[in-house]
Amino acid sequence: MKKTILSIVIVAIIAVTSSFTPIASKLISKKGHVNFFSHTAVEDISADNYKLVSTLETETGELIYTVPMQSFEFEKSMMQKHFNSDKFLDTKEYPKSKFKGAITNLSEIDFGSDGEYAALVSGDLTIHGVTKAVTENATITISGGTITVDVVMDITLADYSIAFKKGKPSTNIAKTVKTTIKAVYN
Amino acid sequence: MKKKILKWGLLVFALALLIGGSVFLYMFFQPHRDVRSAKTDYQVVAKQIVDEYLKDQLAANDKYLQEEGDSKIIEVTGIIAAISEDFNNQKVVLIKSPNEPAGVSCTFSSETNKNAEKLKIGDRVTIKGVIRSGAGYDEDMELYEDVIMEKCDTLE
Repeated sequence: MKKTILSIVIVAIIAVTSSFTPIASKLISKKGHVNFFSHTAVEDISADNYKLVSTLETETGELIYTVPMQSFEFEKSMMQKHFNSDKFLDTKEYPKSKFKGAITNLSEIDFGSDGEYAALVSGDLTIHGVTKAVTENATITISGGTITVDVVMDITLADYSIAFKKGKPSTNIAKTVKTTIKAVYN
Repeated sequence: MKKKILKWGLLVFALALLIGGSVFLYMFFQPHRDVRSAKTDYQVVAKQIVDEYLKDQLAANDKYLQEEGDSKIIEVTGIIAAISEDFNNQKVVLIKSPNEPAGVSCTFSSETNKNAEKLKIGDRVTIKGVIRSGAGYDEDMELYEDVIMEKCDTLE
C-alpha cells in the first residue's frame, strides 16, 4: 500500500514538474554564411565565411552570432594574410567576433506561421576586441518550420580600431564594409 | 669608359626591376596554402585537443593559432558523431566522443568532399586539416562550441 502511494506521488511529481518545464526555445544554427564586401574605386574585395554559429530564442527574440575570424576566405591569399595579421583583425589575439542582441519588434513576427517578416535587430557587436552598439535591419523567413534570418550590417572599420592610415590598404579597402549574415535554424 | 658604366648601370637597374617585379607578382598572386600536402604540426585525439581548450583557451589559442591565419595543421582522430553539409556545399564531419561536451568539426572542400561521402556515423577516422578556432563554452548561447577545422581530408 505504502509503495502504491509512493509511486503515485512520484508519478504526480514528475507529471507536475514536466508540465511546467518550458520547451527549450533556443534554436541553434550551425549552417550560416557571412560575406563581407568592400567597394572602392580601385577594387572590390569580398570574403566568405561558412562557419557561423548562432542561437535564436523565439520567446524573447534574443539573437547571438559567433564567427571564427580565421575562416574568412579571400580570393587572393595575400589579402587573407593581411586580414588576419596583427595590423588588421589580429585573429590570433581575437579569434572570434560576436554579436549579442535581440529582435526588437518581436510582436510583429509570428514564428508559427510561414512568411517573410521585416525585423529590427539591436545589440552589441564585438570585433577585434572592441564592442559597439548596433541596430540593423533583418529579414526573417519562416517556411515549414525552418527559420532563416538575414541581416545586413554596415561596419565602419575605424569603430573597431581597424585603421589603415597609409599605403595600398588605405586606398583599396572601403571605410565601411557591407557584411551580410545568413543563418538557418531548424 | 662613361658609356660602359652607363651600360652596366642600366643592366643592374633592369635586373633589379625584374627581380623586384617578379617578387611582387609572386607575393600578389601566390596561391593559398595547400593544407593537404603541408606538413602536419600536431597529431591528436579529438578529446585531447577539446580538453586542452576547455582547460585553458588562451594557452591553446597561443599553441594552435598563427598570425596571418596560417594556423597549425592537425591530424585529429576519433569517432564520427554527425555528418552534415554547409552553405558552401562542403561536407562537415563532427568528431566527438559521447561523454565530451564538445568535439572537432571538420569541414571538407570541393576537392575532398568525395572522401567524406564514404564516411558514416560511428566510424573511427583520422582527418587532417587546418585549425580555425577552438572549443569553449559560450555563456550567452548556452552551448559548447566545437574546435573548427577546414580544408579537411581523410587519411588512410
